[in-house]
Amino acid sequence: MTPPVPPEVLARARARLLGAPAIPVSEPVPPGLPTASDGSSVWLLPPWPDGATPALLEEYDIAPMPLDRPGQARRVLAAALRCCWTRLDDAPWPGEPAPVGDVLEVYVRMSRGDAELARRWATGELRRLHDTGWLLLDEDTATVRTGPRIALWPEGSLGPLRDLVRRLPQPPEPLPHVDAQGGAGEPVEDPGE
Amino acid sequence: MSPTNDAPSLDDVLVGEAVLGVYRQMFAALARDSGAVVDDPEMVDVAETLLAAFADAGEEGLSHEQMRHVCRRYPAEVFENRLRVLKGLGAIREVFPKPNQLRYRASFTSVVGLMFIRRMMRDGGQSEMHRLLALEQLNVADPRMTAEQAREGAEGLARAFRLWSVELVTLTNGTIEELREQAPKLWGTEEILQRAERLHGAILRRWPQLDRACTDLRAAIYAYGDASRRAAARLSDSAGTTRNLTLLPPETWRTFARTASREELAAVLDGFVFDAPAPWHEPAAVVSAVEDGPRTTPPRPAPPRPSVPDPGLSEDAASDDAAAERLRDVAEQVLRGRDRVAVEEVLDRDWAAARRLLADLSSAHLHPELPYRLVWSDGLACRPDGSPTWLSPGVFERTGP
Repeated sequence: MTPPVPPEVLARARARLLGAPAIPVSEPVPPGLPTASDGSSVWLLPPWPDGATPALLEEYDIAPMPLDRPGQARRVLAAALRCCWTRLDDAPWPGEPAPVGDVLEVYVRMSRGDAELARRWATGELRRLHDTGWLLLDEDTATVRTGPRIALWPEGSLGPLRDLVRRLPQPPEPLPHVDAQGGAGEPVEDPGE
Repeated sequence: MSPTNDAPSLDDVLVGEAVLGVYRQMFAALARDSGAVVDDPEMVDVAETLLAAFADAGEEGLSHEQMRHVCRRYPAEVFENRLRVLKGLGAIREVFPKPNQLRYRASFTSVVGLMFIRRMMRDGGQSEMHRLLALEQLNVADPRMTAEQAREGAEGLARAFRLWSVELVTLTNGTIEELREQAPKLWGTEEILQRAERLHGAILRRWPQLDRACTDLRAAIYAYGDASRRAAARLSDSAGTTRNLTLLPPETWRTFARTASREELAAVLDGFVFDAPAPWHEPAAVVSAVEDGPRTTPPRPAPPRPSVPDPGLSEDAASDDAAAERLRDVAEQVLRGRDRVAVEEVLDRDWAAARRLLADLSSAHLHPELPYRLVWSDGLACRPDGSPTWLSPGVFERTGP
């Protein structure tokens, strides 16, 4: 057996291996990892040196991680932001939970063609975005939230995104109202569901 | 060279001269002058160009001008110098040995020599060793081969292997960079060792009396095998510590990947942690993805509108006719059927109402479609008690129907 590895090193390795794992706020955070917290959990995020983001790879002509249908994934992400990022003057993280149906509806209005097909595609993309930590998808309550990785976006790069989210189609009118109440009074609504 | 144990006879000199002739022709391409080796690779290129041209020219050979034309890329003095040396060493000769001969032909031996030299340069003698071993194997199987020839062959090979391993050992003790650069040309593959041992076995089976030469050969082969293993071990040690994959040739890595067991392959990445796959979505990328995507909405969204409605302004701006109509009413009220009226009459009331009327009259004057105008004269009447307190006499008049 190799000599014992210090626990914080191990925790750090585990965090990088698992992507963006969530730990309770009470747990110690391994040093050197940026975190995103929503009050009850802390997500450990992959570190990038000197505040850079992986977008830097493009400047060095290095291929980023290959992605199937990146355009579609990003459009679904934009649709989810339209629903979850309700206070556009704030940072998108932690955002507010929104029903998956709203996100799908926004996506359908954004795109062209068969609505049913678009919903199915978007559902797949939502799951993939959930797997990689860009969204938090709760399949039981069918709600979606912005993911911890979004907290890595530097504030300076958010301007165009804010404009974009303002321009996107509105989520269906009555539902976001209900959702806003649900978001505010979730513990009250939960038993009713 | 030629062994001259006795007093040399004329025959010996002749034989020696013939051997020297072959040597000279072989290495003519490498000669700077008849006594030294080239000091510029370009000189060899000239020789190669010439020899290629001769091969194309066929049996009538080339004239001096044609040779110059072929070598036009090189400076004249370089070409002349090379030609003189090549002629002196017999690599290029007159077609017929007589004076004032204008056409030349090239020697076959020089071309072969040059090919050999190029090959040695490329792979440093290792493939040459393969060829020699294969040839020797054929020779051993040849029924005309004598024991003496076999002994000479075995001794030559033993010498080559010994020198080879000495060079490799020297490199192994030198710097790692030098070793990496030179070793791939020098160190042996399993195949060359096996082939050498096979040859050794064949010689020993056919001529058991040559066991002594064979022992030498065997020892040399083993020494070489050890040397090349040691060089490889040194390289893989340093490769293992530096993770510089170029320290070993790609073939070595490929062989390892093909032949290693699953555990060995897994052990390579022991202690590595791989990041979870994490595609990155830059905000700008999200924006451009949405903008490039297919959509039903019009491509240019309407400009942002203030949320508070402002109907007054828009109504005003839209109804030019209504404004003109209002001005006409005001003007007709002032004129009361007359064609002209003095302005001071009209304004003879309190200033708050008069200035509004004056503004309307000015508007009617400036409106391009209304047939009214204001004409002012030069005077100025001061009226300290009146309102307004000063007044220029002027006329408001109708200019048309």
